[in-house]
Amino acid sequence: MISLKSFTIVGGALALLLLITIISLLWGQYPIDFHTFMGYMEFKLFGGAGNDTYTLLDNIILQIRLPRVLLAILIGASLAVSGAAFQAMFVNPLVSPGILGVLAGAAFGAALGMLISEQWYVVQVLAFVFGFVAVGVAVAIGGMVSNSRSTIMLVLGGVISSSLFTALLSVIKYVADPYRTLPAIVYWLMGSLTMADLHSVLLVSIPILLSIAGMIALSKYFDLLSLGDEEAKALGVNVPMVRFAAIILATLASSLSVVMAGMIGWVGLIIPHIIRMAFGPSHRLLIPLSAVVGAIFLLLADTISRLALSVEIPIGILTSLIGIPVFIIVLKNARAAWN
Amino acid sequence: MELNPIITVNDLHFAYPKRSVLEGIDFTLNRGEVVSLLGPNGCGKSTLIRLILKLIHAKQGEIWLENKTIHRYSHREIAKHIAYIPQYHNVPFNYSVLEMVMMGRVSKSGFFAAASANDRATAYASLERIGIADLADRAFGHLSGGQKQMVLLARALTQEVNTFIMDEPVSGLDYGNQIRLLELINDLARQGYTFLKTTHYPDHALMVSSRVVVMNEGRIIANGLPEEVINSSMIREVYGIEADLITHNTNTWCIPTFSKGAL
Repeated sequence: MISLKSFTIVGGALALLLLITIISLLWGQYPIDFHTFMGYMEFKLFGGAGNDTYTLLDNIILQIRLPRVLLAILIGASLAVSGAAFQAMFVNPLVSPGILGVLAGAAFGAALGMLISEQWYVVQVLAFVFGFVAVGVAVAIGGMVSNSRSTIMLVLGGVISSSLFTALLSVIKYVADPYRTLPAIVYWLMGSLTMADLHSVLLVSIPILLSIAGMIALSKYFDLLSLGDEEAKALGVNVPMVRFAAIILATLASSLSVVMAGMIGWVGLIIPHIIRMAFGPSHRLLIPLSAVVGAIFLLLADTISRLALSVEIPIGILTSLIGIPVFIIVLKNARAAWN
Repeated sequence: MELNPIITVNDLHFAYPKRSVLEGIDFTLNRGEVVSLLGPNGCGKSTLIRLILKLIHAKQGEIWLENKTIHRYSHREIAKHIAYIPQYHNVPFNYSVLEMVMMGRVSKSGFFAAASANDRATAYASLERIGIADLADRAFGHLSGGQKQMVLLARALTQEVNTFIMDEPVSGLDYGNQIRLLELINDLARQGYTFLKTTHYPDHALMVSSRVVVMNEGRIIANGLPEEVINSSMIREVYGIEADLITHNTNTWCIPTFSKGAL
């Protein structure tokens, strides 16, 4: 039984996400009024007489806005949930996919994939593999420097891992064909939600949603793992299995976000902190709510930037600009939220 | 009285790469007993407990939990037989007391099942039983050491098992909380629970034990009734100090004597 309070909070957040989704589909360079939108929805769902407006809306909504909106939701959700899961797995509130080097590792893997193959699945698989390797490097360096489970050492391990894969990424750029592959890598790395088409978004949504669902299913164990391995085992948790599954799922979700939209930082760090400060640290609520609030955050950031600015700003730059001041506020209140 | 062994340890050896920790331990915990594992730091008490809970693995020897060796149990199955109460500690995320106590229900619920109304009711009942129901909504991190230890005991009760293993339960508590906790263990023991607890303090072993097992340098050097096992020569051998045992109102106390006299 999910408690009524949790159910209400997640339900409320989902309603807000739905509202922002509709607003995001309606607003833009070509505004669509709500009445026309409802007529269009009725036409799409139940059929009826089409007209030229609906053909135009097909183009605007299905081809342009919907893929972007869905991608923002998927990526926001996957980064925030992955961040919360990594924080629980490493018992460390300072880690995130970006800080552990997963995003840099996945970016290197994806760029390598673009260099050696034209196949999209090669890019995805390599992004995941190197995302996972990057976590391994961060943990190994953190553990090598300090035997104890040190918060700071793991963060430093992540910084080193991130730098390593950023350097390797530069090597890929250096050797890439400057007329074809290099521009593709550079534009993709800047981070953008505009390049995806509906088909590829729907395709990537399957593993991302499965990863998120897996992390939500495991969330009750995350509370126990944060007590330390021995206590969790003594309470009956299969610690290696849960930890391995959670790290695989979090790495998969965040690596796929890199494949689809480049490196988008900060979401995985700040969203779990904001939720912890507002609703407490229990992962049974934190994990599902991170998914919805992460989606709201990225969709809102993208929608506002699309409406307010006439030029397209890569979403990764925007999340940093918003994330940094938010994280400074979070850090000021951190002591109360962490302990 | 017929003995009903819950945990049986046969010829157990354990060593870290450069240091032997346990050498040939034979030990039994019977249903209804309160056994204190007494010994100085580094004598292997905590290692023995970790081996019994399958948190580490021995190279030689056997540990039986009821009718199977410990290796044939998963951690989940062990948690259905034994509740472990560690020393109170800080947690990185500040869960509420109720959330902490409900963590004891994980071994009882299905793998993916969410917490049920029954889990919540059991957690509340455990808090009431320990007498700390008023703390349910408080943040665990903001409690005193004594309160934290009580919460961990309440969490063990929610596991609905009959055997508790406690590692240095009074460590870090002030004098009042030490005695309160020992009284609570006494009460629960009278209700039929079985306890295996480690302790540094001969006094505590005398106060709350049906049997005392003394360990030194990885071996069991004495095993029997508290008043028989704890004596001046044992204290001298294990702790390297002189002490007298005095009895007052049927209770026996261990009084250390200063080698250079009192002030």
